[in-house]
Amino acid sequence: MTDELATTQPELAGYEAFQDTMEEFLAAGDVRVVYGEPIQHEDTVIIPTAEVLCVAGFGIGGGSGTDAQKNPEKPSQGSGSGGGGGGRILSRPVAIVVASPEGVRVEPVVDITKIALAGLTAVGFMVGMLFRMNRRQALFTQDE
Amino acid sequence: MLDIENLVRSGETQRMGDLEITPQTNVLQIQLRGHHAGLIWNRPRAVIIKRPDGEETILPVRDLTRMIIWGMLAGGILGAVLIGLTNRQK
Repeated sequence: MTDELATTQPELAGYEAFQDTMEEFLAAGDVRVVYGEPIQHEDTVIIPTAEVLCVAGFGIGGGSGTDAQKNPEKPSQGSGSGGGGGGRILSRPVAIVVASPEGVRVEPVVDITKIALAGLTAVGFMVGMLFRMNRRQALFTQDE
Repeated sequence: MLDIENLVRSGETQRMGDLEITPQTNVLQIQLRGHHAGLIWNRPRAVIIKRPDGEETILPVRDLTRMIIWGMLAGGILGAVLIGLTNRQK
């Protein structure tokens, strides 16, 4: 009759599954994830490159115990285990490496949508600031 | 509590004609010590080109989208500060 953590078979299987997932997560740090397979087109070879952001978290736990309060001679036993996890992978093209007979060059990939959104945010921030300043100034002049 | 590593990794060298191309990446790894949780940010860093005569050239891979976005945001903040300063002077 101990309250020690008892590791059961399904728990071990779950733990192994988590280990496998963790290994796959660590594989996101590999060079092959960022540089794609070279694409041959006549004399030119193109290598696409991308940025990868991977976030993951897992947890597993279990336990067992006995209840001797109701029946001290024959205590009831119970155990349980559970686990959970989540993650996200974000990938975005950054540039392409072009190798041709003329030489090797890196061509950047520009995401117009992202730039437009950032531009709108910056302009919105400035316009908001301008409105706030004007309103504050109007309030001061009213008080005077 | 946190294991933070910033590594530069080199990939397999690929031969394209007379040239040898070696890709390099910059990996930021953050792991919670004792936990199964973490973050990996893997991005291209440069391409090393080796010519038959032994000359090596490093071509950096720049993220133009990120540079423009940061520039715009910095410009927005600077613009807001300037608006605030000019309004205060009035």
